[in-house]
Amino acid sequence: MPIKSILLIWVMVILQACGQDTHIRTYRIAKTKTPDTAPRVEASETKSAGFSWNKPESWIPSSGSSMRLASFDIPFSDGIGDLSVIQLGGSGGGIEANVNRWRRQLNLEPQTLSEIEKEMMEKRGGLGIYNIIQILNEELDSAFLCAILSAGNQTLFVKLSAKPHGIREIEADFILFCSSLKISI
Amino acid sequence: MPLRDIINFLKQPKIFVFAIIWMMMLVVLGTLAQKDMGLFAAQNRYFSAWITWFWYLPMPGGRLTLIIILINLSFFFFNKSIWKIKKLGIVILHLGGILLLVGGGLTAMFSSEGNMVIEEGAQSNHVEDYHLMELAVINTSALSFDEFTIFDQPLLKRSQILRHQNLNFEIEILNYLENCAPAKRTSPAGIQYKGMMKNFMLNELKPEKEDNWNRPGLIYQINNTGTNADGMYGIFLGQSVSQTVSINDKDYAIILRRQRTYLPFSIELLDFKKILHPGTDIPKSFSSEINLIENGAVRKILIQMNEPLRHKGYTFFQSSFIEGPDNETTVLAAVKNYGRLFPYISSIIMCIGLLFHLSQKLPDLFRKSREKIAS
Repeated sequence: MPIKSILLIWVMVILQACGQDTHIRTYRIAKTKTPDTAPRVEASETKSAGFSWNKPESWIPSSGSSMRLASFDIPFSDGIGDLSVIQLGGSGGGIEANVNRWRRQLNLEPQTLSEIEKEMMEKRGGLGIYNIIQILNEELDSAFLCAILSAGNQTLFVKLSAKPHGIREIEADFILFCSSLKISI
Repeated sequence: MPLRDIINFLKQPKIFVFAIIWMMMLVVLGTLAQKDMGLFAAQNRYFSAWITWFWYLPMPGGRLTLIIILINLSFFFFNKSIWKIKKLGIVILHLGGILLLVGGGLTAMFSSEGNMVIEEGAQSNHVEDYHLMELAVINTSALSFDEFTIFDQPLLKRSQILRHQNLNFEIEILNYLENCAPAKRTSPAGIQYKGMMKNFMLNELKPEKEDNWNRPGLIYQINNTGTNADGMYGIFLGQSVSQTVSINDKDYAIILRRQRTYLPFSIELLDFKKILHPGTDIPKSFSSEINLIENGAVRKILIQMNEPLRHKGYTFFQSSFIEGPDNETTVLAAVKNYGRLFPYISSIIMCIGLLFHLSQKLPDLFRKSREKIAS
């Protein structure tokens, strides 16, 4: 009798353990500045034309134009972003000319250099200090996130084109990518 | 069948002999298979399985074989003839063997291993499993907290419906891909596709040899919301932007990630140091200076190669590191193994048993030896 009882309890325990609820967990976590909603990015290093970088695994290399040093399709929650890296000699035309060229592409009025500099964010990465600027046109539902990085006698232009909310979602990875750019020996 | 017959059958030494021979064959086959199918898959097929299939022939897997050995060793104690002082060494030896198998069982059932990745200056309180995935549905609507509903890997299989009282919708799993690659769509997607799937699709790939080289993906459908969030979605491991949906004024983020185990303490990485072999980029040693934070108390500890941190059943080994532009990131291998001490204890017990047995047999051996010389 005791053996039968033990077997019965054991079968009940096993059946209970097989239920779906044992594989569902719930918990609450206080919000932090860096939300816990984004998965950890597993980066891989790539080299091209004397530069190397780390990119998130989810960025898919795409076939851009021949001018591009690298090109990626970047998924975000409701669409796809296009990121290009272009390498130009010297200053590549300078900050003002390039930012205003991007603004024109978004049907925005040009700005003076001092206005542009006010909107720029300074970051530090493998190529030293560089600048980032966000250009938005909510009416067109289009936006650019651009970085200008000096690399000796050359300048790298990194441009992400996506919907405004896509830019916000990808911004952290974009900065990590730009910061990882360095000269490859 | 009377109970006595069952006991007599289960205590037969030949069961042990056949089982141990079969186990040795499994070890050889598993070790050879590991080269082609990878460590994790070989371990699952040969050692962790109840049944191992050889083509269409089902054979006992490692787990079943070890249980048979455990049962057989346990029934050894039903032999009345062993309960004598001169058999004490053998009894102790069997006890040690049983303890070893029990420890192995505890390890197989309850141990976990994963890694903890911490950037310099940051802290972490969770371990990510090497192999198991989870689907995290996070309600981000509240201002002060995020509410997580986690569905573990056993539920992530085709046709499974995931529902929970925390969620005002249900998720139907259409396909779980062990390994996949996102690819940009070349033609417009149908209206049933939502989120990332409007522009991308997930191509199934052949699983890699090593499990952690795979990028799992999930294709699922959100049903019964009564909103335009109903539709087919896709998600994959490492997707840098989580899938977000708004359903009846609640915002959710949906992530496929490695299974997390939250710890009752946190680890803060103060400094990561690496020493290179002179003139090379090859690390000679690396170490992590950390703060172990528990209930407000902070303890400074150094984890380095061959000097792990052991705390609350977990062992943290210095495993690897990631170099960043500004900061370095340490990768600690975290292992929780309830059966960790069993091999040590059982080996000592078995040694005692063997010594006891030998000490009882030695006088006989000496006597026989003397008699042989005398004759």
